[in-house]
Amino acid sequence: MHIRSLSLENFRTYTRLELECPPGPILLCGSNAQGKTSLLEAIYCLSTGHSPLTHVDRHLINWTAAEQDMGYARLRAEVVSRSRALEIALALANSQTRTGAQRLQKQIRIDRQVRQPRHLTGCLNVVLFLPQDIDLVAGPPAGRRRYLDDTLAQVDADYSAALDVYREALRQRNALLRHLAERGGDASQLDPLDARLARSGVVLCQSRRRLIADLSRYATRIHSELTGGQEWLKLEYHPNFDPALPPGLAYQMPMGELSGPPDGISADDLVNAFRAELDRRRKDEIARGMTLTGPHRDEMRFTADGVDLGTFGSRGQQRTAVLALKMAQREWMTETAGEPPVLLLDEVLAELDMQRRAFLLAQVGQVEQALLTATDPTMFGADFLSRALLLRVERGIVGPYT
Amino acid sequence: MMFGAPPSVTRLIETLSELPGIGPKTASRLTFFLLRGETDLPLRLADALRELKERTRFCSVCFNITEADPCPICSDPARDRSSICVVEEPLDVLAIERTEQFRGLYHVLHGALSPMEGIFAENLRVAELLQRVQSGTVTEVILATNPTGEGDYTAAYLLSKLRPMVARLTRLGRGLPVGGDLEYADQVTLANALDGRQDL
Ligand SMILES: [Zn+2]
Repeated sequence: MHIRSLSLENFRTYTRLELECPPGPILLCGSNAQGKTSLLEAIYCLSTGHSPLTHVDRHLINWTAAEQDMGYARLRAEVVSRSRALEIALALANSQTRTGAQRLQKQIRIDRQVRQPRHLTGCLNVVLFLPQDIDLVAGPPAGRRRYLDDTLAQVDADYSAALDVYREALRQRNALLRHLAERGGDASQLDPLDARLARSGVVLCQSRRRLIADLSRYATRIHSELTGGQEWLKLEYHPNFDPALPPGLAYQMPMGELSGPPDGISADDLVNAFRAELDRRRKDEIARGMTLTGPHRDEMRFTADGVDLGTFGSRGQQRTAVLALKMAQREWMTETAGEPPVLLLDEVLAELDMQRRAFLLAQVGQVEQALLTATDPTMFGADFLSRALLLRVERGIVGPYT
Repeated sequence: MMFGAPPSVTRLIETLSELPGIGPKTASRLTFFLLRGETDLPLRLADALRELKERTRFCSVCFNITEADPCPICSDPARDRSSICVVEEPLDVLAIERTEQFRGLYHVLHGALSPMEGIFAENLRVAELLQRVQSGTVTEVILATNPTGEGDYTAAYLLSKLRPMVARLTRLGRGLPVGGDLEYADQVTLANALDGRQDL
């Protein structure tokens, strides 16, 4: 798929942008803080409904516009996929709550119809690669869970729906546990929330397990090409509670080796196992006032030849692992969605050696469209530059590169 | 030195602002509208508000809003006492009454479970419902909470509480727009949903 046009209003540095995007590589050149990354961020927002860089939607609104009481931002893209063309729009606008407080409202429209964020699934698939993505290997686990959620939610509608249910049930459940801890009350109010948490949680666990197994298979091959077969990269899923691993069987199956539940175990069995675990820990959870079990505490690890790269890897090893992960994601998305995603590469070439640069640029040839940013276009070879559309980004204005 | 509006004006603006959906701007506009008019609207409004407060109360049986206790529905001998329809708000009673499809009694919870918003079972008329069902001759309870996350949660919670006490438990069926409020459903849709209620 590819983006045919992008229009932004009051988004970050852009007061107004109308950009036609042809298929093929598009290279955005310019100094730092001119709006190159924001352009990729905007596309990611349209793909997932949220920014990869901030949890605070208010930060996305152009600063001058916010100052002048124009507290809104609008993003819109026309996307052409193999089967259809559609328009995605995201609007952020200030509104007043009934207590008079300011609140930022987010509205998503697909082909002009107001939709929920989860309906964005399948509309625009992207692989985003930022310099700070090295934190996926070495940073805190929340970043890895967000990565898994964003990757799955882009292509799997069942996952998006389950994720919504899980998050809502978890928030309600934590609020209830806190209340029961502080004030007491009828603990059976937990039962319906436990049922929802278990049913949706099993979907998250199973999907994450399959995704990590698939990504690991692609990443192992890619990583082996990158390192000349010197290291064996693996991605491992470490679920907080694994309903597919009944306690009695745990000793037979080493962690990370399991690509699915053992034969003869149905989805209902998994839900029941999850609920049994919630029952077992209920007293403890009420005492602590929070949910202690479930995929919101899952972990994923990167290992090379069995050594944990998050703890023991060098910066170079971590960088190569992330590159392998992102390119594995490209292959996985192509296979799952039936067509290649849009690649968004932010300043990542600068960090790589010649061999890895060549590898990454070859990957760009595998997709319909890629947007790349660079302060210095000369690090791209003449061959690549002759195929790419070059644009200059300067203080929120995009123009031809001369 | 700055002069503000007279205290009586400010007081009305502030009071109106406490209403849901009314911010300070709308409150000022309403206040100055009432001030400008030559009519007796402000006095009629004041009377209506006073009467609302003095004459209405919650029915001690079903907790609907009423002037007489028990309410006209609860004291109507023609209503079927074996069937109770549980709703979130008094407005839902009006919506279901409009369909003329239900001849039983009601129970108004005054909200739905939502721990995030600080609403727990003890904040709703749940204990009163259980007591009513336990001590009465009820054979069917229709769980007619809204088809929202909170409404479904409340229905599931009540289901487990009522299961040992009632022969038939049902939930409003097909056609209701998911995520919407009962009070906004049209008469035909609501009548169909009542008719097609599903056993739980
Ligand atoms: Zn009554």
